[in-house]
Amino acid sequence: MMNMRCGKAQEYLSRAMDEALPADVAGKLERHLDACAECREYREDLQLGRRLLAGTEPALSENFEWRLQLRLSQAMQQAAADAYYPWDDPRADRKAWFRNFGTAASVGLAAVLALAMFVGPAGRTGSGSVPATVHSSAAQVAVEGGDRLPLDITRSPGAGLIGSGLQHPVSVGNLQAGNSGAFQAPRGWSGERIEDLLTIQQLRVENRKLANQLSQYEQWVNQYRAQLDRADSNALDLGEE
Amino acid sequence: MNLSLDEHRYGSPSPARADLQDVRDEELIVLVQNGQKRAFDEIVARYKGRLFSFILRMVKDPSLAEELTQETLIRVYIHATKYREIAKFSTWVFTIATNLVRNKMRQRSRRPHLISLNPAPEDDEIPVDPADQEADPTREVQREELAALINAATAKIPEKYRIPFLLREVDQLSYEEIQQVTGLKLGTVRSRINRARSRFRQLIKPMLRNEDLLEELEKIEARAAAEKDNEH
Repeated sequence: MMNMRCGKAQEYLSRAMDEALPADVAGKLERHLDACAECREYREDLQLGRRLLAGTEPALSENFEWRLQLRLSQAMQQAAADAYYPWDDPRADRKAWFRNFGTAASVGLAAVLALAMFVGPAGRTGSGSVPATVHSSAAQVAVEGGDRLPLDITRSPGAGLIGSGLQHPVSVGNLQAGNSGAFQAPRGWSGERIEDLLTIQQLRVENRKLANQLSQYEQWVNQYRAQLDRADSNALDLGEE
Repeated sequence: MNLSLDEHRYGSPSPARADLQDVRDEELIVLVQNGQKRAFDEIVARYKGRLFSFILRMVKDPSLAEELTQETLIRVYIHATKYREIAKFSTWVFTIATNLVRNKMRQRSRRPHLISLNPAPEDDEIPVDPADQEADPTREVQREELAALINAATAKIPEKYRIPFLLREVDQLSYEEIQQVTGLKLGTVRSRINRARSRFRQLIKPMLRNEDLLEELEKIEARAAAEKDNEH
């Protein structure tokens, strides 16, 4: 007499295959199997199924690791590019530009007014108005709008009286790293995050290296593709003959 | 200064990969967290086959399976610092893979597809492989063909049963690990594996009494054992 129904026995068989069946239940299952040919066949089939799955493990393509390295390089590049730093953000650059423009214009205008009010009388001809050339310097400041006051302002009438302080361009903007690639401290830098800054520099260097590698790989891929195409067309030619 | 980024940050060169063969997975990922790229290479060597095998049997498309295998390994590398040894490393890796596979399958199912004017037969009516009916029982069954038959059968197991089944049969995760990967209850994991096995058996039943096929399987197993001996 079978104490266990086949449905239950087959469920236990599955667990027994995974060595997850308590010993007392395993004993009952064995007794059921001794008496039930259908469940014995079920067990054989499950074991055969497992062997078939293990025996037909798919093989990866030969260049799998090479392609993985390539993708990993790209992903690392992307991760480095995604690291957010305000001075790397183009929007921040645009904002800074507008801010600098405003600052430069304000400083320029203030300087011109100061010249007109305090220095101008020495240089003007007694008309009491601000000389036209001074106006044009202010306009030039507004037009150029960069982070430097134009040298022209020092050459306007009366400007010579303000001393040598404005003989050289005056930087009023932030200290951004230029396109030269040389490192400069960002605006508002307190010196506390030097490690971050060095890491960014290092990441940029790495980025450039990876980009070079990537273009090299792309060239190889194109070469291999061309070779493959040639080989394919040769094979087709032979086949047609 | 010609230091690599890893060396710049951490100051120590990576050990050779041969030295890492006896290192546990959980220790390897700590080395990866410390910037040792060779430890990651060892992880790739250990997991690429298992992941590919699991993913291919889920998505069926070999090139997509390779892509998802690579994506899984890339995520392991990029997010290495997020791993904490509260779960086995293999559980973490297969959780990433399973999520990627599920997302991909969801995307596929959302994509509109063409509707055939000749409706496909119900799942149960589909033969394991159409070629099987025409197959000459005396011809030698090649490994690739056998693999294709098995993959076709596996693909017909419903997804919710297939994931725990493959994690168990192909990747040899324990029930508890599968529970962590899938988020299912332990009893559900057990019963889904049982149902998947039963379904798989139904699907491969026509093959199971094929002498040629069994002979081919024995050859494959013998070759695999010989390769293993050579490795040692």
